[in-house]
Amino acid sequence: MRSLSLRARAESAPPKRRLFLTPYFFVLPAALVFAVFMLYPLFEAFRMSLFDWKITPGTTSLFVGFENYAHAFRDEVFWMALRNTALYTLVTVPGQMILAMLVALALDAVPRGKVLFRTLFYLPVVTSWVVVSLLFVYLFESSEAGLVNYFLMHIVHIISEPIPWLREPGPAMVAIMTLGIWKGVGWSAVIFLAALQGISAELHEAAMIDGANGWQRFWRITVPMLRPTLVFVLVLLVIGGFNVFIPVYLMTGGNPLHRTETILTYMYNQAFNFLEFGYGAALSYILAAIIFVISFVQIKFLRQPVEV
Amino acid sequence: MLRPQKFLSHTLLYAALIFGALVMVIPFLYMLSTAFKGQIYILEVPPSFLPKEITLQNFVDAWQSNNFARYFGNSLMVALATTAVSLVVSAMLSYALARFDFFGKNILFYAILLTLMLPNLMLIIPEFVLVKNLGLRNNLFGLVLVYLAFSIPLNTFLLRGFFEGLPRELEEAVLIDGGSYWTIFWRIVMPLSTPALATVAIFTFLFAWDEFTWALTAIDDPLWRTLPIAIATFHGEHATQWGLVFAASLTAIAPVIFVFVSLQRYFVKGLTQGAVRG
Amino acid sequence: MKQIHILVGGILLSIVLMACGTPATPPPPVPQTVVVPQTVVVQQTVAVPQTVAVPQTVVAQQTVVVPATPAPTTAAPVTLTFWHTYGEGGNNPKIQALEKLIAQFQAAHPGVTIQHQNVPYGDFRRKLLTSIAGGTAPDLARLDIIWIPEFADLGALAQVDTEMKDFDALKANLIAGPLSTTEWKGHYYALPLDTNTRTWMWNKEVYDKAGVSAPPKTTDELLAACAKIKSGANAPCFADGGLYGWAVMPWIWSFGGDVTNPEKTKATGFVNGEKTVGAYMYLKQMLDRGYLDKGILGGGLDTGAGFAQDKIASLLEGPWMPGIFASQYPTKTLNWALMPAGPAGSISVVGGEDIAVFQQSKNKEMAYEFMRFLLTPESQLALAQVGEMPVRSDVADQAVKAQPYFQYFFDQIKTSRARLPHPNWPKIEEILTNAGQEILRGEKTPQAALDDAAAKIDPLLQ
Repeated sequence: MRSLSLRARAESAPPKRRLFLTPYFFVLPAALVFAVFMLYPLFEAFRMSLFDWKITPGTTSLFVGFENYAHAFRDEVFWMALRNTALYTLVTVPGQMILAMLVALALDAVPRGKVLFRTLFYLPVVTSWVVVSLLFVYLFESSEAGLVNYFLMHIVHIISEPIPWLREPGPAMVAIMTLGIWKGVGWSAVIFLAALQGISAELHEAAMIDGANGWQRFWRITVPMLRPTLVFVLVLLVIGGFNVFIPVYLMTGGNPLHRTETILTYMYNQAFNFLEFGYGAALSYILAAIIFVISFVQIKFLRQPVEV
Repeated sequence: MLRPQKFLSHTLLYAALIFGALVMVIPFLYMLSTAFKGQIYILEVPPSFLPKEITLQNFVDAWQSNNFARYFGNSLMVALATTAVSLVVSAMLSYALARFDFFGKNILFYAILLTLMLPNLMLIIPEFVLVKNLGLRNNLFGLVLVYLAFSIPLNTFLLRGFFEGLPRELEEAVLIDGGSYWTIFWRIVMPLSTPALATVAIFTFLFAWDEFTWALTAIDDPLWRTLPIAIATFHGEHATQWGLVFAASLTAIAPVIFVFVSLQRYFVKGLTQGAVRG
Repeated sequence: MKQIHILVGGILLSIVLMACGTPATPPPPVPQTVVVPQTVVVQQTVAVPQTVAVPQTVVAQQTVVVPATPAPTTAAPVTLTFWHTYGEGGNNPKIQALEKLIAQFQAAHPGVTIQHQNVPYGDFRRKLLTSIAGGTAPDLARLDIIWIPEFADLGALAQVDTEMKDFDALKANLIAGPLSTTEWKGHYYALPLDTNTRTWMWNKEVYDKAGVSAPPKTTDELLAACAKIKSGANAPCFADGGLYGWAVMPWIWSFGGDVTNPEKTKATGFVNGEKTVGAYMYLKQMLDRGYLDKGILGGGLDTGAGFAQDKIASLLEGPWMPGIFASQYPTKTLNWALMPAGPAGSISVVGGEDIAVFQQSKNKEMAYEFMRFLLTPESQLALAQVGEMPVRSDVADQAVKAQPYFQYFFDQIKTSRARLPHPNWPKIEEILTNAGQEILRGEKTPQAALDDAAAKIDPLLQ
């Protein structure tokens, strides 16, 4: 519906003005920065990925073609990092969306306190990744003194021994993903809430008169109406999931045994711990290609081109 | 439909919301209480939210002996400069994209959309080499330039959507009166776009205030550290002194939370109205 | 409130348009133009062979003042940056001692400012590499001795034997062992600054509680003591921070093993040799029986704090511990002994730091001057007061008088050895650490894990 109206608008709008120099005056400052610090590095990264790139003074970089890419596919740590990155995305994206939807539905339904709750849920979103990552290291302390262990042992009695969260790969991934969900729920919830408030009450009332229950109304009215919003949030969250870096870097550093490594932590490590700039650049491009393909597929298949 | 039923469902909803809100807030409260605890009360069993003895020592240490006032200033300068410049240049670019036809427009716009999808971090390696060759490492100006580049695509995208929806009649009137596009931009477009600009400004500020990885890579001199690297380094130096680490962390998040809480109505409104008539 | 849809719709529409429409602009920019199949020199600057001194240094050399206390100059203000890890573990006394020395130096050299920066050890190597690559290296750094080959090989460090005129005179006073850590391929790239090793730091309160009267002398005695400590004091008998070389090499050597052959050309037969395997089996046994704290696998507690709280019975630690304890746990006394001897003896690991000047420094002469200053007997003794073992042979006795516990370290260091001095050591160490993880986690047998490690290390030795 929206896209249709947008397209119609664009066609009926008066033709845009053609001027000779004025546009460039407006374009130039931003475009210059964008070109030098965004587009040029983008090309440069690709060029570097084709070299055994040397950065230290007095050394020569060797052209190696696609060897860095081939190396990645033979590198078991790369596959581990890819698997972890995918796992993080597969868990945190649905986790955030489902919880955010529940929060948004609840907030939409309650008569008062919306702003207060929205503020509280949004707090983690505005807090720096560095701070919350360190905070979670503290909460997920391996001993009984860690808040999470203490809660699980002595309040809800689910475990009898403290879990060494950040020492073991599995629990460490759980801690990292918990942080990802906790920090992100508020963002999706605020967007969902705004979208929910845009659905007219009459639709729901009409459906209720027809005898539809809450579940049916959710799937027949809310979800279709929210579809563009849902796809938008999904696409952005998946991109965000593949870009996970700071929590892993600060919570486990990819350890133990690279088992919590993600693509970007591995890339950073290769580049700045071993000065393998060419390999790091190749890893970046592989990640970018993955993200591009997944986003493309999502948009192409999940979005219905035209609705009423 | 029945009153008691509605009352019951509301009670349940509130209970669920309160539970969720607690999950969101408890980590912050724990951080807050830890920051006021002395080192011997850190990681005690059972954990407590109320310090047995409240001490301000952690804040004193962070601010006095560890230079956090300076890091705060660095972060503020970088974030304000990035926000101000990004806002103006993104708005100019957006206006051009929304109003004019010019050679290269489509390519530019698609390039912007493309970079929106790509992780900024993938550029960190070439960015490092570029900034090094320009002699801008270890320098707040180098941070600002890169943050500008990282923020321009999204800001341009959002503002362009908003500008396209602005009525043209006023602009036509200015043109007829002999005004220039520059006048239109500053006198009409910018004032009319305050809500959208505010949203964009807040997002940009938050991004620059919190950015970690590039600052970590670009800044070597402790004098030019921003808060996120200062805090992460601080954690590395004082791994077990959590009170100190969290006192430093609160320094970084307090202003952000203050800005968010005081401006949030404005900014949520801005976000939704940003696309009015788009 | 419908606006959000429009925003969302707009973004999606644009992305779809970009993705599906306009075939003329293929989405990922493929920069075909830059694929040049040839070798390219990256740096715009002229590639200068390492051995050639930069011109300004040559000029400066003529004005060099050899004595350690030169006449104050009225030259333009000079700021030297100096990175170090003196504050590691919250060691305030060392930082204070350093600041005092810096103040003295600055007083003797008007116009010179030394900007010192403590860097967490865990970040230090990456930060140095980044700054070298990024052209913002410090003037001076106090480097872990094990990094010298790597940084020298990168061409990052100034050659002190060719650039310091008084090098031979300085060298004459230095203890041979620490001095040798500054050499790489026939040249010296640093001066030693302090030396250390790890010895057995044992917790008398815990030992007493378990009825263990004296620290174990051999690895067999250690097992017996551990059994008592486990049952009597319910504490792990030993803890360490990880499975990196600094932690495992003492065990490997004491069991008669090693990472490579003495010529540093081959790992196979050494890192996976019977004796190295035996060392790992010993550690695994310690872990399985609860004698070795699980924190060695990572994410664990701070071993020093655990020791202070009587949760750990013994550690392998260095001469910095008294300083850390003095400022953080002043009531806890420390006891020292030699590392328990294995079949091959009590062989610990030599540590320590060297001070180096970076090639990028614009004030090399003044940086050398600061190096000389830190190596004067007075400075060495001042640092010894806070736990830095001196590298000058002429002050060792005085240092032991000032710090009686140094005697344990001087005794231990006689049989200690240095980790593999090789530019690829960081990579080799990572392989070794991962093998240790696999063994102690029980995922591979020691033999299998070390066979794999040997296969990976061999190519790194060329």
